[in-house]
Amino acid sequence: MADLQDDTPTTTEVGGDYGLPDDPFPDEPYGPADETLRRAHSLLAGHPVADGYSGLPWALRHLPWYDLELGEMSVDTDVPRLREGHVGALFWSLHLPEGLAGDRAVGATLEQLDLVHSVTDSHPEGLRLVRTAGQIIDARNCGRVAVVLGPAGAPALDDSLGILRVLHALGLRLLTLAGTAWASEAGLTRFGEEVIREMNRLGVLADLSGASEATVSRAAALSKTPVLCTRSAARALRPHPANLPDDLLAELGAAGGLCMVPLTAEQTGPTVRDVADHLDHVRAVAGPECVGLSGTYDSGAAHPRDLADASRYPHLIAELLRRGWSESELSLLTWGNVQRVLRSADFTARAAQHRREPSNARIAELDG
Amino acid sequence: MTPVTSLDDARELLREFPVVDGHNDLPYALRKQVRYDLDALDLAAHQSASLHTDLPRLREGGVGAQYWSVYVPSDLPDAVPATLEQIDGVRQMLARYPAQLAPALTAADMEAARADGRIASLMGAEGGHSIGNSLGTLRGLYALGVRYLTLTHNDNVAWADSATDEPGVGGLSAFGREVVREMNRLGMLVDLSHVAATTMRDALDASSAPVIFSHSSARAVCDHPRNIPDDVLERLPGNGGMAMVTFVPKFVLQAAVDWTLAADENMRANGFHHLDTTPEAMKIHRAFEERNPRPVATVSTVADHLDHMREVAGIDHLGIGGDYDGTAFTPDGLNDVSGYPNLIAELLDRGWSRTDLAKLTWQNAVRVLGAAEDVAGGLQATRGPSNATIESLDG
Repeated sequence: MADLQDDTPTTTEVGGDYGLPDDPFPDEPYGPADETLRRAHSLLAGHPVADGYSGLPWALRHLPWYDLELGEMSVDTDVPRLREGHVGALFWSLHLPEGLAGDRAVGATLEQLDLVHSVTDSHPEGLRLVRTAGQIIDARNCGRVAVVLGPAGAPALDDSLGILRVLHALGLRLLTLAGTAWASEAGLTRFGEEVIREMNRLGVLADLSGASEATVSRAAALSKTPVLCTRSAARALRPHPANLPDDLLAELGAAGGLCMVPLTAEQTGPTVRDVADHLDHVRAVAGPECVGLSGTYDSGAAHPRDLADASRYPHLIAELLRRGWSESELSLLTWGNVQRVLRSADFTARAAQHRREPSNARIAELDG
Repeated sequence: MTPVTSLDDARELLREFPVVDGHNDLPYALRKQVRYDLDALDLAAHQSASLHTDLPRLREGGVGAQYWSVYVPSDLPDAVPATLEQIDGVRQMLARYPAQLAPALTAADMEAARADGRIASLMGAEGGHSIGNSLGTLRGLYALGVRYLTLTHNDNVAWADSATDEPGVGGLSAFGREVVREMNRLGMLVDLSHVAATTMRDALDASSAPVIFSHSSARAVCDHPRNIPDDVLERLPGNGGMAMVTFVPKFVLQAAVDWTLAADENMRANGFHHLDTTPEAMKIHRAFEERNPRPVATVSTVADHLDHMREVAGIDHLGIGGDYDGTAFTPDGLNDVSGYPNLIAELLDRGWSRTDLAKLTWQNAVRVLGAAEDVAGGLQATRGPSNATIESLDG
């Protein structure tokens, strides 16, 4: 081996004496004034972002050609920008546009799942589809961005627990409990509660963004594993219907749930500071273990200035560092809380499967 | 009457080369009767009062692999959700009887199940309506374990003609051919039972993998549109696929075909749809049956089909697809899934060799699935998933 190594030409010195006029990797990307941004980068390198909502599947559906590996400017998310933004995991929404309701929603959701599989299959260097918290760690150790399937909308079940199980078999991990007869403004019906029990048995997380307040309360109390809101900010700061009032934030916090604050102008405000205000507020009301981030990119929403795409997370983290967030709080915000919630769902499912058989309850029997 | 020794020989042969059955509607029966509640209908016990199929009788019948049909009716507004429920029903069944039923997705899985004495359990979807005109949904069904799609059921779909409907697109449309191509790429078998002869020929032209008939017999022996014409049977050696003979009396016995036509006519004359099963309709039907005794098919009727099919298609292209729990009546001697040894004994008596019978029961079906996998492997190296839509291809 030594001989071979001796023969290997060393290339490290090539150009070493000259430097490159347009060196793409300058040693000092930030001036001294950007010390905070540098800290944000180094913090994110250890604790990347687990992003609670990406609308990429639907955005890609209508693109005739795309390459996320090389960079794709027609969307907000691609592998180079995910890496630049230190995104380690993201939830890929399977939500459907309004109007695709009823039994049409099932086929359309299958198509979305198929598209996600084909996108991740065709970008194996950058993306890896995962099912469990453990697989997220594996993906990260292999330098891949973990893609978690969901949330899907509740109409995708067509009121059937069998379809819930089939979607879970195809990888679904989150379901948004809104927009159906069993999870409506009036809250959860008996069948809705059975859906949550079956979700617990499978390890499908309940997403309560956009759910009615009655549904949020009941689901948080009933679920054996923490629930989350993939796109909710503080209503005390901004009166958007999907934002949570303080009492629900406190309830969610008490139940160990997770409020993932969206980076959208509509829900959080037009600047990085507005987003930080919401994060401060949710941290204060629900607790640092119960707050997360939700890029909400490629969902059609407008984003705050300086947070235009998936590469911009370090700017947000820098702002939080300036506001005195501790490194441990930030590591929970970006990564730790999502890991905890997914891991808990995995454990709960394993325990429940020893005790419960698949439920074949029907909505007509339970809700009459 | 079959000599006892032949029956013993048949059972002995089936121990080594058990039956791969192409079509069984137990999932739909479970959906209709108990909504998949296997506490209410335990398949580990004899259920002959309500089903053709249960685990003890599958064992008795020497069944080693079963394509469970995830059939849903074609008159639903959207068949996709119901098809997913059927798939979930099969998954529940497999999870409940793991010592007896082995989930199988490949030819290798089938051999592994045979080696450890379990019944390899595969899934087939019966009718193009189950994919809702979507190749994405087709791939979803494949991902869930479905290994064949019958292109139509009793009604046409927008892209393929059924044997029991008026001519529509005249075989396969452009999108229909794309469905076949995508099935080839996935390794999902193209099933041509139920389709019109025009569709059979178009699919044979379009498919680069072996096709199957999961439950169809020979039209030259009994002239019914559900059966396979000789010119199509003759193409199976070139294609490498197989025809799995079905037992349904009203397809295999000419007298039963004629009787059914008359009974249907009688129903319509009395103001009912011919498939109506309401009590009033059944009363009319029973009265007809009292006046006109129903012709009964036998083991020998089915063996006649196999003799002919062996002549025309060759021994390497035959199999068995009983359609149990998918039909009200069954032949004498093949009354339920325990009956396969009677058919094998009959064929032994007719001089079929052990080599031929091993191909009929087990080897051909395993070969065909394996060949579809091989074709898929080759195609996937050169072609990505198709995103064609029916609108773009059929206008």
